[in-house]
Amino acid sequence: MIIQSDQLGSVDIDESKILSFDDGLLGFPDISRFAVVDAGDDGTYFWLQAVDDPQLAFLVAVPWAFFPDYAPVLSDADQHALSLTDADDATLFCLLTITDDGVTANLLGPLVVNTATRQGRQVVLGDSDYSTRTTLAAA
Amino acid sequence: MLVLSRRSNESIVIGGEIVVTVLEIRGDQVRLGIEAPRSVTVHRQEVHAEIQRENVSAAVTGAVDVTRLPKAPPPS
Repeated sequence: MIIQSDQLGSVDIDESKILSFDDGLLGFPDISRFAVVDAGDDGTYFWLQAVDDPQLAFLVAVPWAFFPDYAPVLSDADQHALSLTDADDATLFCLLTITDDGVTANLLGPLVVNTATRQGRQVVLGDSDYSTRTTLAAA
Repeated sequence: MLVLSRRSNESIVIGGEIVVTVLEIRGDQVRLGIEAPRSVTVHRQEVHAEIQRENVSAAVTGAVDVTRLPKAPPPS
């Protein structure tokens, strides 16, 4: 299917690869279907485009390239909600915020995807010391 | 909002499955114990609110030149 995205222009989405966030994202409870689209060509950044809202897109990154020590621990409830039984089935993205001062990553509320089922969920690492605004360290 | 008075070591039951117990009251702080099914997530409200605010900030509204984003450091 073709989405006329405000951010990405016309993008062709493979419907079999759409991620389902049944609970949406915090603050966006009704937006449940997202497509991951490459942003740039080095595999660092991705667009998370809302399939049903062409105006809504987020920039995300797999955090370990910038934060190699990042070690989020998923609660039983989150594992259960994602039907995750094997850590190898999990992929994790962090939402990025672009400000005048640079780019920050939300390490406190990462997005976890069960790649086997394509279910996703924003998890809240409430017992951790991670921040919603950690500056990306540039090389 | 339903308002109930509870003393230390007294509980309330929500939905038949979630039990919230007042463990300790000290000054203006209350320690709560929460028993819930494993499918129920429990978080401090302010953490939830902070992530919600950050999500709204993260929604991309302007043009983004992805070639100008920070490059990932090489793996060490």
